Amino acid sequence: MTFGKFLVRRLLQGVFVIWGVITVMFALRAVSPGDPVNLILDQAAGEELRQQVREDLGLDQPMYIQYLDYLQGIVVGDFGFSYQSSRPVLPMVLERVPATLELAFAATIVALIISIPLGVVSATRRNEPADYGATIGSLVGISTPNFWLGLMLILILSVQLGLFPTGRRPVAFHDSIWIALTTFHLGPLITWFHHIILPAVALGTYFTALITRLTRSGMIDELGKPYVTATEAKGLPGVLIRYKHVLRNTMIPIITVLGLQLGTLIGGAVITEIVFSWPGLGDRFIAAVNNRDWPLLQGVVVFIAISFVLINICVDALYAKLNPKVAAQ
Amino acid sequence: MRSDDNETNRRKVLQLTGAGVTTGIVGLAGCLGDPDDDPTEDDDENGDADDGDDDDALDQDDFDEIVITQGEFPDVVDPVDHITGPYFNVYDHVYEPLFDFVPGEGIEPRIVTDWEHTGDGSVELEIQEGVMFHNGDELMASDIAYTMERQINPDVGPASDQVAGLGSIEGAEATGDYELTIEYSGAPDLAEFEFGNYARAMNEAWTEEQETSEGAIVGDDEEIFNGTGPFEVVDFEPDVQIVLEPFDDYWGDVPDFEQVIFNGDGESSGRVSALRTGESQLIDNVLPDEVPDVRDEDELDIREVTTFRNIFLVMKNEHEPFDSEEFRQAMNYAVDNEEIINTVLSGYGAPMSQPTPPEVNGYNPDLDPYPHDLEQAEELVEDSGHAGVEITLTVPEGRYLNDAEVGQLAADMIDDLPNVDCEADIVEFPEVSDANSAGVDDGEVPFYLIGWGVITGDADYGMAGFFMEGGGVQNFRDEELDEALAASQVEEDPDEREALLMDINEMAREKAPWVFLHQQEGIYGINDAIDWDPREDESIFVWDMN
Amino acid sequence: MIPERLKASLKREFHQSLLAKVGLGLLILILFLALFAPILATHDPTTSRYWDDQGNSYPPLGITYDTEIAQEGERVEYTVEPTTEHLLGTNNVGEDIYSKFLYGARTSLLVGFFGTGLAVLMGVPFGLIAGYYGGRVDDSMMRVADIMLAFPSLVLAVALIGVLGAATIPIPDPIVMAGFAEDMPEYMILPGSVTIVVALVTWVWFARVARGEAMAIRSEEYVKAARSMGASNRRILVTHVLPNSLTPVIVLATIQVAAIILLESSLSYLGFSGTTLSWGYEIQQGQAYLSTQWWIATIPGIGIVLAVIGINLLGDWLRDSLDPNIEGEHGG
Repeated sequence: MTFGKFLVRRLLQGVFVIWGVITVMFALRAVSPGDPVNLILDQAAGEELRQQVREDLGLDQPMYIQYLDYLQGIVVGDFGFSYQSSRPVLPMVLERVPATLELAFAATIVALIISIPLGVVSATRRNEPADYGATIGSLVGISTPNFWLGLMLILILSVQLGLFPTGRRPVAFHDSIWIALTTFHLGPLITWFHHIILPAVALGTYFTALITRLTRSGMIDELGKPYVTATEAKGLPGVLIRYKHVLRNTMIPIITVLGLQLGTLIGGAVITEIVFSWPGLGDRFIAAVNNRDWPLLQGVVVFIAISFVLINICVDALYAKLNPKVAAQ
Repeated sequence: MRSDDNETNRRKVLQLTGAGVTTGIVGLAGCLGDPDDDPTEDDDENGDADDGDDDDALDQDDFDEIVITQGEFPDVVDPVDHITGPYFNVYDHVYEPLFDFVPGEGIEPRIVTDWEHTGDGSVELEIQEGVMFHNGDELMASDIAYTMERQINPDVGPASDQVAGLGSIEGAEATGDYELTIEYSGAPDLAEFEFGNYARAMNEAWTEEQETSEGAIVGDDEEIFNGTGPFEVVDFEPDVQIVLEPFDDYWGDVPDFEQVIFNGDGESSGRVSALRTGESQLIDNVLPDEVPDVRDEDELDIREVTTFRNIFLVMKNEHEPFDSEEFRQAMNYAVDNEEIINTVLSGYGAPMSQPTPPEVNGYNPDLDPYPHDLEQAEELVEDSGHAGVEITLTVPEGRYLNDAEVGQLAADMIDDLPNVDCEADIVEFPEVSDANSAGVDDGEVPFYLIGWGVITGDADYGMAGFFMEGGGVQNFRDEELDEALAASQVEEDPDEREALLMDINEMAREKAPWVFLHQQEGIYGINDAIDWDPREDESIFVWDMN
Repeated sequence: MIPERLKASLKREFHQSLLAKVGLGLLILILFLALFAPILATHDPTTSRYWDDQGNSYPPLGITYDTEIAQEGERVEYTVEPTTEHLLGTNNVGEDIYSKFLYGARTSLLVGFFGTGLAVLMGVPFGLIAGYYGGRVDDSMMRVADIMLAFPSLVLAVALIGVLGAATIPIPDPIVMAGFAEDMPEYMILPGSVTIVVALVTWVWFARVARGEAMAIRSEEYVKAARSMGASNRRILVTHVLPNSLTPVIVLATIQVAAIILLESSLSYLGFSGTTLSWGYEIQQGQAYLSTQWWIATIPGIGIVLAVIGINLLGDWLRDSLDPNIEGEHGG
């Protein structure tokens, strides 16, 4: 099978999956208890008003018509209107994306900065105190729920020591960068940085621990391979071997696993945003669930699923390009 | 130790000391001088940068700007769409009320300068000339009539929640450029409480041009606001913040502040942290536990007021065992509302004796809260014939001050009765709200905790909806009560009407439609250089501050 | 069921690995606390209102904290002292924190084990059938799995609970029934919705593993032989394919118990569990009191970390000994 054919097949599968997600979400709404009209209107509104709203929203239509309307809407980018705020859902979702991306990227960067050196040290000094420390640290990191870790960071670093704010995002990254570039005023950028550190550490710890483990075991495998012994025999400096060849080969499985853990990153971001009042997609999602704001809830979940599927297709395509055997399977 | 006398005493003293503190503040603020004196404030052009910049915000002494952080941020932009307090607190600065409402007193002229009841179910209003909208149009009486139509008529504008506060208003019509007539069906007194609180002004021509969804104005930038209020919107980020600046052509006194920012943080600890770091100067709903911490900070202060918001447990009387008056009274005897106030609320709250809070028209000062008396309660349960019953109390979480804790304690106290098993089920607020709107015949959730702010300042707003046939949130059916309320609504003499409402409160206490818990305390954290007293109706008006 | 070779490998790894011993020790400890919670608890965990005379909740032994109380109409500073009655103090509604901790362990383990069991029951047959029959059956079944995988598990779990509501199942407590602990709750609460939901979001991983095994075994000689001798597909699946896929399923199940405990704690932290006897719920309750009574949120978190570390260590031990090739998604 050619790469093109593979890509087309993968895209078709992606479309199917997204259709499935939309259908599942619609079905969930259809079976969920509670009358949406109560969410739109005040407790004291009369029956006449309720009927009116029901008609306006098409809630009096048969289910299959509501379903087709919904599908048709999504195709043209119309996710309906939020029950709670009457705003169109799509901008409500999109305006929250930057905050979540900031958090996810910051967490990933925190994880990479700490974990790779830690893994390398751990692998090259096997069974020394540094290795034990890193191993136990990563075990604890993998086993700690990030919301609790976040609270402990708040407790120690914010409440007790007053070093960091308890969260919130008073300024967006892109705004603060823009201000820094146009007015050379670094205040907002520093504020942003100050506010994102704790959430990023809380979300990034699991990945730090995971990548440390992977780097360590990957390095140990690689270091035992013949080419390493051979290059060592040739007298290349050990440090160079370690970082250039071995680490590069170790990174491939790490990237694969990180791709697979994307769901964990998004799920983790949801709860981290709640702990730190970070105004991202997760915060919007939980608010939508709590308010039973179905159009918004569906919008967020479908959006996450679409991005998820697209990223996975990209990863697969990259893989197939690098390794033609995958496409042939 | 926990006798009624002591409790009342304590409250009184608290109120007095509260008043004492405030007087002190006035003096202090006077010393600090007029905030306008300080032109050295390095003024960032960009609103985004301003409130984010710790260095600027830490300058505690100049209050050209004020940031107000509430637990909720308005999620809609149409000023006549919703009915909750935090929403009015923001939009009243942009779309000002037509009257000034003084809790416990009544209404005073604002945009409306004069009003007169004609005696045939209508009132004639006169408004000021030369009141300007932010877009440059002049306010006309027809704009007000149009706005009222949007509030009460589902065919015009959004399906507005505010119709609940305008129950007796039939319609409005402009009779001249600056004169209009409002028609109502009940007593003039009742109508006055209603339009006095809920009348606003939107620009008819402008509103008709806006993009709407279900009749409500929608949008996500500063262009979507146009009122006559002292502040206009200069920046709006949905669900994040709204930035206001004084409106140059405002008819009244120009406010002291260069900029007012409202934002929201659902976590109490987050709000407190914002206050401490100087990112915010006023926050609402400080948890009682965090009060000492805030008070201990040099430049911060706590201001509190007992609000018009009742917290109570609804017992729908179309369902067993709540159909029995003895059983409902037993619940009131079983729950020790003073202990709830003294423990999980750390003393912040006042026990309820009747559906109407003190200071509200129709409150009956002769009624005492139900005492805590387990023996009496047990006996009443026996008499009711429901001994051995198992009930579940449904409790919302995060809506009212420590609501989940309050509900759990109440359930445990009822569970202390040897002949009743009671368990608390803690849920998200919409579930409770659904149950409340479902009516008295719906028995899925017959017993739940809810709160209701009697913000119009009239007892009718706290009872008619709950106790009358066809009231929007009817959860108690009783002919006697229904008739008495109906009679009060058409009683034209204000004194006579107040007497009727007082009798109704006594009747309602006896019939025990609810387990009466407490009036919620409004606890605000504030930078102590700001001269401001919290209001019983939970409104926050920047024009009240200095 | 487990071949001798694997048994030997398990033993060898266990003896060599200190961490495996620590893991087993932790798990046994938590299991012990959970099983005998009614006997070990000092107070009914659902009884509230253990206050001091001023209506304050107690701090843990060795700790005091300052608060304000109303006295003769004024607010005065007051220092709250601990009591030996409540070793770890009482929480915001005056419940005994130590007793709640024990019962929280029960909820976590119940959901962890039942949820994983349910996921195995759903995922393994699904995967075996898809892998064994292959072709169109496999294709269509795997598309269903793809849809499940397109949701991050926490997101799907929250959305599902939003629909199902947080229903719970009371199970009579055998220890209390047998009369060993009379003052304790008669029922333990299994958060039913949460258990079903965690299974619904994790079964796919079991399906994938089982499918892989089934595909590999399908082409083995002895399976081909059994088929040519006229054995029905169902019989082959049950007698040959299923037993062979057990090893990786067991390893995955161990890791998933830990992931599900984390997922359960996240859900109950977000307020979706339906029981108040849960570590995550307790942490959420304590969050508002971080600045004054930090122990309310801290203590249950330690429970989660210890339980998950124990199970993860056991999982590592099993994986190192049995060496299956599997993957899964993390829950917290």
